[in-house]
Amino acid sequence: MATVAVPQLSGYHRPAVLDWIMTVDHKKLGILYLYFTLFFFAVGGILALLVRTQLAVADNSFVGNDAYNQIFTMHASAMLFLFIIPVWAGFGNYLVPLQIGAADMAFPRINALSFWMLPPAGILMFAGFIVDGGAADGGWTAYSPLAQQTGVGMDMWIIAVIVLGMSSTIGAANFLVTMFRMRAPGMTMFRMPIFCWTMLVTALLQLLATPVLAAALVMLFIDRNYGGQFFDPNGGGNVVLWQNVFWFYSHPAVYIMILPGMGIVSEILPVFSRKPLFGYKAFVFATIGIGGLGFSVWAHHMFTTGSVLLPFFGFMTFMIGVPTGVKIFNWLGTLWGGSISFPTPMLFAIGFVSMFLIGGINGTYSAAVPVDFALHDTYFVVAHIHYVLFGGSVFAVFGGLYYWFPKIWGRQLNERLGKLHFVLMFVGFNVAFFPMHMLGLDGMPRRIAVYADSAGWEALNMLSTGGAFLIAVSMIPFLIAVVMAFMRPKDQPDDPWEGNTLEWATTSPPPDYNFDSLPPVRSERPLFDARHGDEAH
Amino acid sequence: MRRVPLHRRLRLLAATLAAALLALLATGTASAIQPGGITDEARLMNDLFWIVTIAGLIVFGLVGAALVYAMIRYRRQNDELPPQFHGGGKIEAAMVGVPVLIVIGLFTISMIILVQIDDKAEDEALTIDVTGFQFSWQFAYNLNDLGTNTDPNAEGTIAVIGTPANDPILYMPVDEPVEFLLKSNDVIHSFYVKDFLYKLDLIPGRVNSFTVTARETGDFSAQCAELCGTNHALMRFTVRVVERDEFDAWVAAEAARQLGDGALVSTSGTQGD
Repeated sequence: MATVAVPQLSGYHRPAVLDWIMTVDHKKLGILYLYFTLFFFAVGGILALLVRTQLAVADNSFVGNDAYNQIFTMHASAMLFLFIIPVWAGFGNYLVPLQIGAADMAFPRINALSFWMLPPAGILMFAGFIVDGGAADGGWTAYSPLAQQTGVGMDMWIIAVIVLGMSSTIGAANFLVTMFRMRAPGMTMFRMPIFCWTMLVTALLQLLATPVLAAALVMLFIDRNYGGQFFDPNGGGNVVLWQNVFWFYSHPAVYIMILPGMGIVSEILPVFSRKPLFGYKAFVFATIGIGGLGFSVWAHHMFTTGSVLLPFFGFMTFMIGVPTGVKIFNWLGTLWGGSISFPTPMLFAIGFVSMFLIGGINGTYSAAVPVDFALHDTYFVVAHIHYVLFGGSVFAVFGGLYYWFPKIWGRQLNERLGKLHFVLMFVGFNVAFFPMHMLGLDGMPRRIAVYADSAGWEALNMLSTGGAFLIAVSMIPFLIAVVMAFMRPKDQPDDPWEGNTLEWATTSPPPDYNFDSLPPVRSERPLFDARHGDEAH
Repeated sequence: MRRVPLHRRLRLLAATLAAALLALLATGTASAIQPGGITDEARLMNDLFWIVTIAGLIVFGLVGAALVYAMIRYRRQNDELPPQFHGGGKIEAAMVGVPVLIVIGLFTISMIILVQIDDKAEDEALTIDVTGFQFSWQFAYNLNDLGTNTDPNAEGTIAVIGTPANDPILYMPVDEPVEFLLKSNDVIHSFYVKDFLYKLDLIPGRVNSFTVTARETGDFSAQCAELCGTNHALMRFTVRVVERDEFDAWVAAEAARQLGDGALVSTSGTQGD
């Protein structure tokens, strides 16, 4: 579709750096989010390699016990708070206005504010490494009273997470208003692209849950610094209260971390199967269902505290399996009867489906309360979370990057390198994380800096470490592909993949304010309709 | 299956994926050699573990097979547009119905087993007071609460106190219920014995308890399962399950050593709280 450049006000052009700093354009902010979050993905990945190096052999002294606690705490904090949650804001920022046919987000300046809260928070959190007592080392869960004992790095961590939460909260409000108020003519809620739906439910979860985390963190800060006794039993407080409030946020947060990934996969599978998403409405209701149930399962992280209502939380946790199962059927049904091709984005999307399937199944072990008594806080749970958040979310991130790279940067990533990247990462991921199931069954607790030779865990740990380094190696073809792409001119057409949604109706990359004119929207696939006419339905 | 020869690279890819999924399935089955557990309660949990595992493997096998089949059978072979199928009532009802049946079944079985495990301890059970501290354990025995063979008039407490460098040993008799009372005065710890297939947290400000009946003698390694600070990884201990007469002999020897001949001074709480 032809696009005419918007006339510039004559004369003055801001220097490029200033332009990036002062921009309120959703596309530039989206790109800034992606750069920022991928940087912290690398930082978190390096910390993960340190963890795996320490655990590779029994009785290792590569890093000390204190340093180890800081390293794994900051690994999780970087990956969750500085990578996976904001990376969806990055994709959302870039894509939601394009997909609904809008010129920008509803509140562009608030949008810029949401982004610019991230760098100071990231710096503050990591500056903990240079202060006395080191960075936060109580785990990303910061269980009290342990979190009362550590140094000032913990206070910096608390403030950083509060700031990141504020960023999420105002960003969520922005996404909601944008999607409710700025959809193109003809785009009813049930014609909205599925990625937008997942961003909508994610934004609702963030809006409702994140303030609860902020409240908990403020209580913890007061306990630490001003003699509050919210979590101190000696002063009438309650230790378990922290866990209740923390997980009331942090379990919905797991869905905040995965739902947009499901949305990305549900954009990619139909395009490369050349079929509509199977059961669009069922998918939407399943997403809403996961969001709703997500608020009633938090205490399944606390079965071994002896102070939660086991049958209720066990039941609700099992029930999460229903909308999750629906989604697996959505994806299978989309492939079924299709005309499937396998470019790199599709490989990552199918990788997501297969790994998320395992992440769903190994999650049921923890819903079965008596089994959870055995597996809770062991490496089995570490395997589970990585099958969901790496095999799920990270595969979706890369699927999304390969899929929208031509749209965002106007250039194509090399297919051969992309496939090599996928194969190395898929193998490395399974070698790194599948053995953790066995380690957990064999009784290896998580968060231990050393284990005895006599425990018999060394071989599987060594294997897992090898897998982690293979994941790191898999980033090399990706980085080469990115460098190669940027050395080429922008040559991508509007719609290189035969896409379905409105972002493919404008140039690659899109101009300021995105569209000159929009195709009519009569279904959830306006571009498919434009290509094939209505008779193809 | 159509007789069109598969494109070589596609075949390689499909074979790799299928092999990876099958390998996972095989390792999954083989690896799940979960230790059966040494207590009555653990054996119940182990049954549930296998039920969940079998259900999971069936789901994984079916969905994985469907995924691989669809990738091969429905690969793109020409430019013809496939039928544009959006979904339908009956299939979508099955999409909800099948998971509902699976999870309700698993939930019901879990609850039945949970109730059996949670059966309250008999009053005459031996009670062991477990206190976790940074970074080891104290196991205390009240001389008038030793289960069978208890002298109700006995007074005093014997205690075993470990250090991170010197793991303590928890003695308990085989074939009788033993109740554990779990306490902490500093941070949260978790009492985790792999061969019990069980763990329960030690939480400042509350006392947690559970009861098990061990059916095998021997030494079983155990450790803290809740991050509790610098030397969390060193907070290990050994559970030594022995015959009753051996247990009684150990208690008598410890009582003589710790309390002296007839001295009835409690030594519990010497960890400095």
